[in-house]
Amino acid sequence: MSPLFLLLLACSTDFEHPERAFAEAPASDAPLHPVTIHAPPTLGAVDAVGTDIHGTPLAVSCDTCHGGSDPLAAANANPEEMHGDLVLNHGPISCESCHSKDRLGLHLADGTELEFGDAMQLCGQCHGPQKRDYDKGSHGGMTGYWDLRQGPRERNHCLDCHGAHAPQIKPVKPAAPPIDRGRVQGEEH
Amino acid sequence: MESSTRRTALKALGATLGAAAFARALAPIASASEDLSMAEVLQRHYKQLSPDEMKAVLQRLEDETWEQYGAVVDIDDTRPLPDTAFGYALNLSVCIGCRKCAEACHVENNHDRPSNQSYIRVLEIDNGTVDLAFSTNDYDHAVPQKQKYYMPVQCHQCDNPPCVDVCPVEATWKESDGIVVIDYNWCIGCRYCEAACPYHARRFNWTKPEIPAEEINPDQSYLSNRIRPQGVMEKCTFCLHRTRKGKMPACLEACPTGSRVFGNMLDPNSEIRWVLENKRVFILKEDLGTQPRFFYFFDE
Amino acid sequence: MKHIQSYPAFLRKAVGVSTDGNKYFYAWMVALTALMLVGVNAWAHQVADGMGLTAMNDHVSWGLYIANFAFCVGLAAGAVMMVIPAYLYKNKAMHDVVIVGEILAVAAIVMALCFVMADLGRIDRAWHMIPGLGRFNWPMSMLTWDVVVLSGYLLINLHITGYLLYTRFLGKTPDNRWYLPFVLLSIVWAVSIHAVTAFLFSGLGGRPFWNTALLAPRFIVSAFVSGPAFIILALQLIRRFGKVDIGDAAILTLVKILRVTIFINLFLVVAEVFTEFYTGGAHTASARYLFIGLHGHNALVPWIWTAIVLNVGAAGLLLWRRPGKTLAHIDVACVMTFVAIWIEKGMGLVVPGFVPSTLHEIVEYVPNELEWRVMAGIWALGLMVFTLGIKIAIEVFAGRMRAPGAPPMDAPEAAQIEGEVA
Repeated sequence: MSPLFLLLLACSTDFEHPERAFAEAPASDAPLHPVTIHAPPTLGAVDAVGTDIHGTPLAVSCDTCHGGSDPLAAANANPEEMHGDLVLNHGPISCESCHSKDRLGLHLADGTELEFGDAMQLCGQCHGPQKRDYDKGSHGGMTGYWDLRQGPRERNHCLDCHGAHAPQIKPVKPAAPPIDRGRVQGEEH
Repeated sequence: MESSTRRTALKALGATLGAAAFARALAPIASASEDLSMAEVLQRHYKQLSPDEMKAVLQRLEDETWEQYGAVVDIDDTRPLPDTAFGYALNLSVCIGCRKCAEACHVENNHDRPSNQSYIRVLEIDNGTVDLAFSTNDYDHAVPQKQKYYMPVQCHQCDNPPCVDVCPVEATWKESDGIVVIDYNWCIGCRYCEAACPYHARRFNWTKPEIPAEEINPDQSYLSNRIRPQGVMEKCTFCLHRTRKGKMPACLEACPTGSRVFGNMLDPNSEIRWVLENKRVFILKEDLGTQPRFFYFFDE
Repeated sequence: MKHIQSYPAFLRKAVGVSTDGNKYFYAWMVALTALMLVGVNAWAHQVADGMGLTAMNDHVSWGLYIANFAFCVGLAAGAVMMVIPAYLYKNKAMHDVVIVGEILAVAAIVMALCFVMADLGRIDRAWHMIPGLGRFNWPMSMLTWDVVVLSGYLLINLHITGYLLYTRFLGKTPDNRWYLPFVLLSIVWAVSIHAVTAFLFSGLGGRPFWNTALLAPRFIVSAFVSGPAFIILALQLIRRFGKVDIGDAAILTLVKILRVTIFINLFLVVAEVFTEFYTGGAHTASARYLFIGLHGHNALVPWIWTAIVLNVGAAGLLLWRRPGKTLAHIDVACVMTFVAIWIEKGMGLVVPGFVPSTLHEIVEYVPNELEWRVMAGIWALGLMVFTLGIKIAIEVFAGRMRAPGAPPMDAPEAAQIEGEVA
């Protein structure tokens, strides 16, 4: 032990050190870092019947048919047959409400064509409150910086959490609860 | 005279035996205090340390973490940003009770592994009531359940914090950005704050925390997520080692549903301000007058 | 003779008297020392390996130690029930034995402080509470108030007992100016120590079971039950084992006090129970837990009903005008109500405040062996302080412990002492 400590102890006062009061703030006119939206996989996957040898449900990636050199060729095949196992649980809408019939892309209700990457606009045309909340930052997960002067932020895309065809979040197994001292485990009241 | 001398000798023998017995009874303390340096025992209150003293303390704490846990860590004294008042809001319409926030907290804040502690407890509450008597937080079934909603509870960083009022030694206080902190090296472990907190936000280190070296988060701060000593209180600090550097808290980043909104309430353009001004916001146990900086809200 | 010589002589003789006695005395001291060793060793393990060795947890974060703390503060405050009749009402019989109450106050405060220390997670940082050296959060924290009033009460009573014994030792008559103001101060102070200890609990808005204005009055009244009950028992033992002739008058005065306080105490319990159970609602969950159990959790139910039965039984015994001069039934009543208050104001007060917890989790608490051992050690220490204090007082008042060269007892003094001791 250093005798210095004893000495300091003896003359301890309520003095607080102003130089330790605050962190250095970024300049108020510092350039703001960007807010980007996380890009979901360009195309999703469609559930198929059955499971693989590991018991994992089978899914067919959209790329399987639509990712070739001529995506439209697949699009022009018989869609009802190829997408028969796709679970559509998204209110009273049909495939054509969102998907273009004659091209591999999307369209808004007014017919304006959209690329897959812009799907959020499509969601927003029906889910107005959610779109508004998203724009205001109160809907949708994010990572990065709350203070854009200090770093960028990345927002989730609608499709990061909601499946396009069955948007309701599926039940998940929660992370484990704490193991409290004194509590009889597994007891619920 | 002779019997009196004999008596005195017997008394002296008794006193010696007694002293030896007490020394023997106290032996466990001697062996346990080997880890305790004099510098730690005599360390002054956080607010009284000069920048140089703070540096020495941080170095000592890093060394101790290496000696006791075998991990190389970087402990900072992260001070608040000026003109900042943190606020946190949680969307009960969206939360599914998956405990990802609690899990992220557990990892980020170097919690004791065996007890799986975390600063966040997620309540599963029956629809149709806000009475916490109809809640559980040790559920282990798939979530969300029908007819239930979920309410994560953590430190509310009250503006009128009962925990700070009751502390006999000023080991806990509210900082300029609104975060209620603890000097883990000043706390005497009386647990009065734990009794005073209406939100079960404070926990006590009943034993020395156990964490394998490879699981220790090395990015640490003195007032925040450094490994706490045995016998002191701990609490959520809104991840001040992150948030005071502009980052989101770990629980927010982990939330898969985007239930959590964090920001500077002094910034009129912040997301948290929009929520407070436009959503149906409420605070837990408002009748107690604690004035939290943690808010709950519902979508329409 | 100068004080610089006579005071060390006083202390030396006090040590001598403290270590001299018959075989019962030695047996009692050895037994207490053994218990203290058990307690000290248990506490040492707790300091070394953490409070995790106790049964306390994050839901019930105070347990047996704080329960005993609350009770011991009450015991100390209850001693004032001898001081008030002795000094305010000039009760002669009480005046002669009031030092028993003052010594009890000292012993009980020592125990109370030890229980707080035993409850600290970091005893090595206890110095943080020393004003000037540490940071003393006064006046905000009720715990700092408690530290102030408890150490103040300890000092006041140490001064009063020390002064009275020392002047007797010198063969002088105590000078009123040197102790009467302190006696009057100790009366106010006695109420304050227990009120402050009650405020420590009742000031917590998040704990509805404690957050009631009735808590401080209940604390005070129950202290005025447990204190006199203990003193009656102590007086009975002193006159039996100490070969001191204490008349029944002081005991009967204390019985009169008990007859009133025990009923006020029961009335306050009834008032509390009525308000809780007639109103119902979420805030009564703790009271339901205590009295009838909550969702199948009922660890405290047998305790509290034992306390109620004991208190009602004691009240009945105290009312019984038994023919003849025997006081055996009073002794039984005192033991019963002492145990009852220990349960009611100890575990019955502290634990339900935490059950259910603030997030309405129900985690029960039953003290474990280590906590019982620490408790036994602290009680042994308290009883040792009390025994030695009484023993020194007896020797001084009997004139057997006297300064060399002190004037022989003059006639009035001898006559006065005649009334106190054989």
